[in-house]
Amino acid sequence: MTKLMSDFAGRFGASLSLDENLIVERQSRVFLLNNRLKGLVLRDFYYAGVYLGKVKNGVFFPSFPLLAMIAERRANRIVVDERTEWLFVCGRDIFRKGIITVSGSTKRGAHTLVLNKGCECLGFGRILCNLDAEEDRRKVVVKNVSDVGDFLRRERKHHHSP
Amino acid sequence: MTSRGFFAQRYALMGWKYADAKPRQAIRVNTANAKELEVLKRLEARGIELEKIPFLENGYWVRKAKVSVGATTEYLLGLYSIQEAAAQIPVTLFTDLKDKLVLDACAAPGGKTVQLADLMRNTGMIVALDIEKGRLAALANQLERCRVQNTVVYQLDARRASKLSLRFDRVLLDVPCSGNFATDREWFHRRTLEDVERNAELQREILAEAVRVLKDDGELVYSTCSLEPEEDELNIDWAAKTLEVEPVKIDCFGGIGLTDVFGKKLNCLVANCRRIWPEQTQGFFVCKLRKRV
Repeated sequence: MTKLMSDFAGRFGASLSLDENLIVERQSRVFLLNNRLKGLVLRDFYYAGVYLGKVKNGVFFPSFPLLAMIAERRANRIVVDERTEWLFVCGRDIFRKGIITVSGSTKRGAHTLVLNKGCECLGFGRILCNLDAEEDRRKVVVKNVSDVGDFLRRERKHHHSP
Repeated sequence: MTSRGFFAQRYALMGWKYADAKPRQAIRVNTANAKELEVLKRLEARGIELEKIPFLENGYWVRKAKVSVGATTEYLLGLYSIQEAAAQIPVTLFTDLKDKLVLDACAAPGGKTVQLADLMRNTGMIVALDIEKGRLAALANQLERCRVQNTVVYQLDARRASKLSLRFDRVLLDVPCSGNFATDREWFHRRTLEDVERNAELQREILAEAVRVLKDDGELVYSTCSLEPEEDELNIDWAAKTLEVEPVKIDCFGGIGLTDVFGKKLNCLVANCRRIWPEQTQGFFVCKLRKRV
């Protein structure tokens, strides 16, 4: 399981090593415990400690706490302006003109964390064209893969479910 | 007599004249995740005008908002939660939560669980239970959004809490209840005294189990958002008689608990409970219990 996490962090050019003994999996969802929780948690829990993400059909879907952990490390990241922050959390892709700074890989196909001006992680995306190339500022350059607006989308889903 | 008339008459016998009420929207800053002043400034910049709730440490009423307080980046990043003012009270009544083992016995949708974790600064451990699987997803969503790290959630009936083989320093019992008309426009049409009595019985079963898993020197906070004395003072009077616990003095918003309910005299310590009639907040009842030494 730690390999899954470190491989995922590696997609952002980051290194992440977690204690294998503290990672638990339950119904395809992965959690990071601390020593106290580890000593007391029973097998049939629903949620425990820090949620790291879920594995579905062999694909890993990271949680936002995991993305925030990666963002604390040296990793591919872009910082976006306020308008782009709002559009991104609404599920939209990122235009060149909304990016303030770029760190780490700028290459097409790379994954990058998306941060606001306060360096808070809003989610992540995939770079669609080399960010250091001269491009039209109105062009979409980062595809939204996952953003914190998902919490609202999930809330609506729970609210409407019978 | 209409259902509204029936319940209004009961409220009159308890010393409160029925008046329609609409609780104000409130938020609570998650101080483990952000500095309170910073959050306030950021929300102000978004056109959200807040007003400090005088009886809460980190609670604010939303006076005006140009955007929905449930759809800002700050909300999505877990810097604050939307939580009704009276509902913020129970968790604040515990003393010394750091490093404690805490049971949140009826936890979903998780507003108070997050508040507990915030006050515990993610130390110790919270065991959060809820019986309904559908509600656990909402609880998990809150824990993830607010970056809670010290909580384990089980799908478990609070009446079976001893199955966990743990004894807790603190127990929060925000029990399932009949609710109140201030938060449910259809309340008078939907509720009968039979509902209230059925809920009161369920609450007594949960209370009994909670006392079983509470350490001898532990604290138990019991709360409902019901105005009906069967779910409030009468249940606490029953607990004082039956479960070797007693309500202790608390210092919080609200009027004293009733010790004379429809002519029935209750244990005088029930006055230590707090009853909140709806006005700016919803209707609420809260008390803190300790085992009798």
